[in-house]
Amino acid sequence: MLDLKLEDIDGILVRYNVALEKEMTPDEAAEELYPKDELIYPIAKAIYEGEEDDVIDGLKAAIDAGKDPIALINESLMVGMSVVSQLYDEGIIFLPNVMMSADAMLEGIEFCKTQTSEVPEPKGKIVCHVAEGDVHDIGKNIVAALLRASGYEVVDLGRDCPVDEVIEAVEKEKPLMVTGTALMTTTMYAFKEINDKLLEKGIKLPFACGGGAVNQDFVSQYDLGVYGEEASDAVKIANFIVENGSEIEKLREEFHKH
Amino acid sequence: MVKKYTSMAYANADDMLFGNSKFPVKAGLGLEIGAGYTTPELNYAPRPQAGKSKEKLIKEYERITTDAMARMVQIGAPSIVLETEHVEQMTNNPEWGGAVAHAQKTIMEEYHDEYGIKCALRHTVGDIREDRDYLKLTGDKFDLLMESFEQVAKNGADLLSVESMGGKEVFDYSILRNDTAGILFGIGVLGSMDMETVWSGVADIAKKTGTVAAGDTDCAQANTAMFIAGGLLDKNLAHTIAIVARAISAGRSLCAYEAGATGPGKDCGYENTIIKSISGVPIAQEGKTSTCAHSDVMGNLTMQCCDLWSNESVEYHGEFGGTSVQCWSESLAYDCSLMNVALKTGKAKDLRDMFTLSDKYRDPQGYVLAYDNAYRVGEAIAKDGNDNYLRAKNAAVECCNIVEEGVASGKLKLTRFEINALTKVKEDLAALTDDSDKFMSDCLTKYKEEVAVFLPENYGL
Repeated sequence: MLDLKLEDIDGILVRYNVALEKEMTPDEAAEELYPKDELIYPIAKAIYEGEEDDVIDGLKAAIDAGKDPIALINESLMVGMSVVSQLYDEGIIFLPNVMMSADAMLEGIEFCKTQTSEVPEPKGKIVCHVAEGDVHDIGKNIVAALLRASGYEVVDLGRDCPVDEVIEAVEKEKPLMVTGTALMTTTMYAFKEINDKLLEKGIKLPFACGGGAVNQDFVSQYDLGVYGEEASDAVKIANFIVENGSEIEKLREEFHKH
Repeated sequence: MVKKYTSMAYANADDMLFGNSKFPVKAGLGLEIGAGYTTPELNYAPRPQAGKSKEKLIKEYERITTDAMARMVQIGAPSIVLETEHVEQMTNNPEWGGAVAHAQKTIMEEYHDEYGIKCALRHTVGDIREDRDYLKLTGDKFDLLMESFEQVAKNGADLLSVESMGGKEVFDYSILRNDTAGILFGIGVLGSMDMETVWSGVADIAKKTGTVAAGDTDCAQANTAMFIAGGLLDKNLAHTIAIVARAISAGRSLCAYEAGATGPGKDCGYENTIIKSISGVPIAQEGKTSTCAHSDVMGNLTMQCCDLWSNESVEYHGEFGGTSVQCWSESLAYDCSLMNVALKTGKAKDLRDMFTLSDKYRDPQGYVLAYDNAYRVGEAIAKDGNDNYLRAKNAAVECCNIVEEGVASGKLKLTRFEINALTKVKEDLAALTDDSDKFMSDCLTKYKEEVAVFLPENYGL
């Protein structure tokens, strides 16, 4: 077959990711971000490495040394996860690392809960669902994991979720926002119905939507819609609401990029 | 009857070419696929509100079909395949799918009768075999799937396809955790088992109705990996892992042809060049003219051995140049015209190589799917063709070897991250048993425990 000379390839395509790759390895970058406390450091590192057993061992050691189990959630588990989130946002580590770290952190939280009768305080509650008629849920699963990893309580309604079930959950749980994902153009129409039913009941809260065929133009058609292009935008939208309130126009100014 | 491939359809990779397959397929109204020319395959999605009722859906597909056929004759395209990918209502209510197929075929027949345009209708039914919580691959849902195939086949569909989802529950879990064994188990073992069941059923229906059992795609798994991997700067999944998943998927999608399908394989099966090398069936592909549906990093390369050239999907709506289906069918038709000219002027292999080379070094995915390397993956599969697990593992190992050779040549440039991910996959593969029964047993134990939605009974296990 025909082939290109090595020196000709760069004129045809550019591997920008290779050209721009940071010198520092992910492990080195993480090392710079870990807290220095000798009891917290191993927990944060185990979260970064996604090593569930090491997380539990670290928590046991910290509790034995007198640390409060509930305080450890924020002071060690969430700190470790924030290292992971920062490295992911900076493009230094990839999504599977985040997912494995999230698994380890959730195990850690469950362990902490078993060590006390106190209940940890989440940053806020979020209802997640996949549109009615749509069974493609990997995007929603990523959204839910990233939200939990960022300290939010997630009420996961699963896939192929009837419109009325979403409305009931919002009325019952009073979340700070709802997320909806859909792969297909025909199923995402359910988002409009959810929007209309929420408004009929006088409920106004951000409805963050994204996924396969969903685009900003479509989401902009209903009053509560805020478009999220990436799964990680869900966390950014939630954080924005916590810090700046839930005004839809402000959210659209921030997150509607097109 | 499932007959596994243990040898290659082509003696050499260089014998593989667009518009030509070892075993061309006659379908529809005067069309022969893979018989010396390429044909555009237009795919479309109804507007969101069209799914509200059967009548609205039929009307929407009538508009789509008429628009597309009209544009094809306006620009002098000699042939067209229309592909209707079902919205769930059409498969869950088989008579809806049948009614849409009938309405579309009626219009296509009118155009064929009046202008002689060669055309065929593909219906890709939705894999509706699941409920809210679990895959439900057998039982009532399986029967409903087959009923849907039968209805569309009896009412005008010429080519029968599905994007089946067996193994997806384990795959979805594994791909987000860099779990090589789980990826192999989900696609290569569970996916293959389900494919054999589904496609034996579809082949029977095709035989009974005089239609074509066309083929499947590992959209649910390998394309999920490809989309998560995304572009060069995306940080969601190493592209080296995505291409290993793709190589594994070739053995899985091959199962359709082993169960009686004859092609053309589905457009979004980026594994199709590998499959063509083993089976010789015609294939549909998508790439630069499917940017209306999604981005990829091998837009030209995928044309290298295509027999049908597809836009993947576009929502039906207006554009400056007509409706979306008119615009995209026109682009596809001109792509095919170029390939067909190359075939007639003796320049086809040069054009094929130019398609391949424009993307071969862009990304490890394109590098492995370049027809010369795809052929090598095909050989690795055929070597242990009788064993779904071993051939999937072989494909993954060969894929790793190919990428490593590309990096060593200096032509394929990867980030350290991608190289490290590749090294890990290779180590994982080396640690796996060669005993299929042991692999199955180990995986059943592990994933029953780890994946809450995995039900072994879906696979008769």
